[in-house]
Amino acid sequence: MTAAGAAAPLAPLSRDSQLAAEIKGLVAGGERDVARERYGELVAHQQRRAVRIAYQYLRDVHDADEAVQDAFIKVFTHITSYREDRPFEVWFTRILVNACLDLRKSRSRRLRWAVPMSSTGDVPPAEPVTQEQTPEQRLVSRERANEITEAVESLPARQRTVFTMCHLAEQTTAEVSQALGLSEATVRVHLFRAIRKLRRLLERN
Amino acid sequence: MKASHLSDDRLIELCVIDEASATEQQHLSACARCDARRGRLRRLLDEVSDTATAAADAAFTPERLVRQQARILAHLQHEGRPARVIAFPAGHGAHEPMVSRTRPGSRWIAAAAVAGLLVGGIAGRFGHDYSFGRPGLSRVIVARTAEQPELRASDGSTATIREVTASISDDEFLNQLEIAIDGPSAAALQPINELTPRSWEVR
Repeated sequence: MTAAGAAAPLAPLSRDSQLAAEIKGLVAGGERDVARERYGELVAHQQRRAVRIAYQYLRDVHDADEAVQDAFIKVFTHITSYREDRPFEVWFTRILVNACLDLRKSRSRRLRWAVPMSSTGDVPPAEPVTQEQTPEQRLVSRERANEITEAVESLPARQRTVFTMCHLAEQTTAEVSQALGLSEATVRVHLFRAIRKLRRLLERN
Repeated sequence: MKASHLSDDRLIELCVIDEASATEQQHLSACARCDARRGRLRRLLDEVSDTATAAADAAFTPERLVRQQARILAHLQHEGRPARVIAFPAGHGAHEPMVSRTRPGSRWIAAAAVAGLLVGGIAGRFGHDYSFGRPGLSRVIVARTAEQPELRASDGSTATIREVTASISDDEFLNQLEIAIDGPSAAALQPINELTPRSWEVR
């Protein structure tokens, strides 16, 4: 397993990376209030993507909410350790994934002592609904959405992480290797295995 | 011809990682089977992605995102500032004597209250003895049934004030006091009692 730092060169820095570098400069210069205002913009840009990743991991709206908040707060409080030559998205995603993993751990500890109430959580599984769908079509869509959700959840943790980051968070394998501290070859292997398993589970049906 | 078909792994790479090379592109254009396999895999991955996105977007409405953002920024506003310490009411620390927490002003007020009670008690005792000259009776309240004052409300309704009469001994009076102190209504006054310095604590 090679070091992730020796990965392929990354794409030019995004607008959010530049914004993060600016915020870092403001915090370092003691202009914390201005930095916080600018950080609001960064939160707004990254928020939707962040909740999608967190929800995919945790499958619970409250936990995902908490993980995203924790990650954004942690990012701001540690903004001075952000490296401006790296994409902000990669750094942020790594912090977010760690927040999700921490929450999953604490949730499993919590569930050991809790009385099970419902297996589906507080939000019904979403379905790709259109207004033109008939009730039968909606039912089929819902069942299919459940199948897909269960298939993704059945992936081993590492495969699911890599798949989520590559496919849902739209990061390259090089970026994921940086975020997870794995070699790019390892990331590719996990991605292959994840997609193979998903195809086996979902095409069979 | 079969040997030149694209492998499953290569199809996955083409769908999520790499661009097809010129040779592969040529093959995909010519081979309907490989092209169909690639299309099927792409649709499957898009379906997974769309389902996950739809689920997250349904759970996190725009209003929820706005609230979340506000909470994050509100939290950051307090970040790095020292926490405000709210003083706990003095006298609840069992390890410290209450007298050490009372201020001199409070001590004087408490001392005056105790002195007032003592003087009042003694004066009442002597006053009762001189007025009535009958030991055992602390007070006689005379019933006034003949002239009961009447209150008239704005709507014309009336109510009478009636002074209740009783004649009780000192022992009975103290008994009633003890019963009242032990009663449930006195429990509400217990925290105030605990916060108030005792007479022997005031120097």
